[in-house]
Amino acid sequence: MILLESHSVIINDVLTDRFDKPSRADIQFVDYDNVRFHLSTPSSKSQILLSMGIQCWPDLVKYGAREHLQSEYEGYWLSEQDTEPEYNVSLIIDLEKIPEGVDDRLALISKLAHLKSTAMSSPFLSAFAEQASLQANYKDAAGAQAKDLGEQGETKGDLKIVRYREEEAIYIQASNDRVTVVFSTVFKEETDKVLGRVFLQEFVDARKLNALQNAPQVRYSNREPPLEIRHLPGLHNGEDWGYVTFVLFPRHFSNSSQAQSSINRIQLFRDYLHYHIKCSKAYMHSRMRYRVAEFLKILNRAKPEVAAERRTATGRTFRTR
Amino acid sequence: MSNTLRPYLNAVRATLTAALTLENFSSQVVERHNKPEVEVQTSPEALLKPLIVSRNESERVLIEPSVNAIRLSISIKQADEIEKILCHKFTRFMMMRAEGFVILRRKPIPGYDISFLITNFHSESMLKHKLVDFIIQFMEDVDKEISEMKLSLNARARIVAESYLSTVSAFSTREYDYNLANLTNLARVRKPRLDVISGHSKLG
Repeated sequence: MILLESHSVIINDVLTDRFDKPSRADIQFVDYDNVRFHLSTPSSKSQILLSMGIQCWPDLVKYGAREHLQSEYEGYWLSEQDTEPEYNVSLIIDLEKIPEGVDDRLALISKLAHLKSTAMSSPFLSAFAEQASLQANYKDAAGAQAKDLGEQGETKGDLKIVRYREEEAIYIQASNDRVTVVFSTVFKEETDKVLGRVFLQEFVDARKLNALQNAPQVRYSNREPPLEIRHLPGLHNGEDWGYVTFVLFPRHFSNSSQAQSSINRIQLFRDYLHYHIKCSKAYMHSRMRYRVAEFLKILNRAKPEVAAERRTATGRTFRTR
Repeated sequence: MSNTLRPYLNAVRATLTAALTLENFSSQVVERHNKPEVEVQTSPEALLKPLIVSRNESERVLIEPSVNAIRLSISIKQADEIEKILCHKFTRFMMMRAEGFVILRRKPIPGYDISFLITNFHSESMLKHKLVDFIIQFMEDVDKEISEMKLSLNARARIVAESYLSTVSAFSTREYDYNLANLTNLARVRKPRLDVISGHSKLG
């Protein structure tokens, strides 16, 4: 498995099972970036309550996550006072009212399994919308005062900050011709830091390939945050920190399905990077295990074989010399 | 094998064979003790002159002989940060299993990456030339292993980056095929190089 899935496998499996045969459930589980889920049947077997607790909920609400989720999960959404305590979002699924067709059911399950990525996509979507309006305004203005704008350079939208982990954040900024996404990530271990640098360098280099000319531009810097976010207070400078910048052009989010798939990929970038750093460490470990076993075999060859006692036909023992 | 590696290993082999003339020797300081003299360093007359065989500034071997034990420390080539980390991981991994490798020292001498301590008891219970063979084989393989690990890390990083970026970029069927090709490449990289490893077992 090279790419990570953007949906939650547990929600997918449990709901597929429950849609066929309603039964009791009380499952608590987690997803990437400290997202907690609780799937339960509080009142009856046919009422499934799915709640999600997400660390950066206050940030997401600021960028319209509540409205976005409300429209996406029309009919399942529970209002704020009905939301399960300790969680941010609750959906209720009535198994007696779900669609009948197999395809419709699959679509519904997939939509519910993407709950986390849908919530996380709202700041991206609002940045894309902002970019579109900036682009339109820019064109109008360009006709009128091209000279002024030449001085001023480009117009920029608000910087959106999503603190999706305790110390790490996503910064999203729209401007008239692109959307810039900056990830800050921390490497807790010396080895991770070096491996992370190797991986990030490859992300930068991979774009030189012809097949990947259309991919978003990637830049990374360690120690110093990139210029887009340098003015922000409380940024960390140091060996352990890495900043990765993705530059998305309108072609990456021109239609809604493409925008959604770009968002699903981009928001998992940090998990993807760290997952593969861990994988390569595990691979090296298994390799070292194998190699050390080989060395041990070579060393054991130096030990002379102990001559076993042998018996003659009459039962006497003798030693070979 | 490069031109300088062969003479280097030959020199280590010759020096080690010459130094491995060990005999049982009780401590002159503490009664009823029998300690490796090179480790306790209490009687200077029991120590012999240490010797360094060096291939270049980063790769060298320090051989410290004494009357009943010999200590051999190896400094492994580390060209960049990744090799440094891989080397550190690998030697630490080995030294944590030092009870299996009877002649391995749990800590290296300062300035070196890995140390071996061969006492007269080891040289009596094991075949001397095979012990030397083991050290030489270790020196040969450890470089190879580290550079292979580095290559596989780079290959993995590249595949990871390419398959990620190709899904974010504008979609086409060509890229899907491209991903599949990468998947098979990764499978190839991840397999341990058995052909290389089995090539060395001709020693026995």
